[in-house]
Amino acid sequence: MKSRILRALLIGALVNGATVGAQAIGHAAPTVAAPGSGTTSVSGGAATPSDSSHSYDAQALRFETHWGSADIIRGADGRVIGTVGWFRDFDVEKLVASSPQAVTEARAFKANNFRGSLIGGLGALTLVVGAVVTANSSNNAASPILIIAGGGAMVWGAQHLNAGYSKLSRAFWWYNRDLTR
Amino acid sequence: MSRLLLCCLVGHLILTRSPTAMLAQDRSYDQNALRLDGNFGDVSIVRGIDGTVVGRIGVFRGIDVAKVVERSPNAVTEAREFQRNYRPGTIALGLGLISLGASVGASQIHDANRGITTGLSIATIGLITYGGGRLQRAYNALHKSLWWYNRDLK
Repeated sequence: MKSRILRALLIGALVNGATVGAQAIGHAAPTVAAPGSGTTSVSGGAATPSDSSHSYDAQALRFETHWGSADIIRGADGRVIGTVGWFRDFDVEKLVASSPQAVTEARAFKANNFRGSLIGGLGALTLVVGAVVTANSSNNAASPILIIAGGGAMVWGAQHLNAGYSKLSRAFWWYNRDLTR
Repeated sequence: MSRLLLCCLVGHLILTRSPTAMLAQDRSYDQNALRLDGNFGDVSIVRGIDGTVVGRIGVFRGIDVAKVVERSPNAVTEAREFQRNYRPGTIALGLGLISLGASVGASQIHDANRGITTGLSIATIGLITYGGGRLQRAYNALHKSLWWYNRDLK
């Protein structure tokens, strides 16, 4: 009788221990410093190399914009792995190749980014020409037209760039979805 | 006696397992992960695979981002950084654009004081640079906030 109770207790303790252990691995809660500090320490050495190489903390992507371009950042420690934007050619499709939905969104980003950069760039050039004409000969009728046309093209280009970044955000959302947590 | 003990053990296991399963379902990535969606100057935070709009980003009737991401402390820190920069950035950029309009208008007037045009141009560049920088910082913090929030989902 006593041995049965002991056996039941032992089995219970083992099952409980295994459950708690599995939950801890599933959560993979690393000790993370304050965001932006750039320091992250992952506690617990139970994870295998393949687990950590596909984990959200190490692999998840996001981006940060800097005056018309955007740095693609990987992981909790904020490693910059590439830059996209004004005529920058970084292969986002290849980066997110492991997720088909992400690849579709990355393709849409590429198209929007090129269109936005081209039209926005031409608009900025037209605006500058308009401003120079205005500065040199104030009575020129072409200068307001150039300024308005340039401004309009810049706005149109900005809309495309904006739409492109939405696609990029969506591409990373899909890519991050397929990572282990 | 042993049966009673077994029942207690099974009961304990069921009780400790069920809330975890419910929590996991409640906080799944597919249903709850956030991202930004922008269209013609209108930026929204959308949730999940079906893209339900959680709220729009705006100066006057914008969503409280810190409240949306309150489950993740790191996300809340970044959301506050967003809120600290977004409003001043938008206002400065708006004033910069008004100043640009005024500068173009002033340059068309024949006998306008050259000093006014120059002053307006400098103000335009200053306001747009300052506002753009603050807005950029705001959006970068917002992206980071959503990244942290999504990280803490199952």
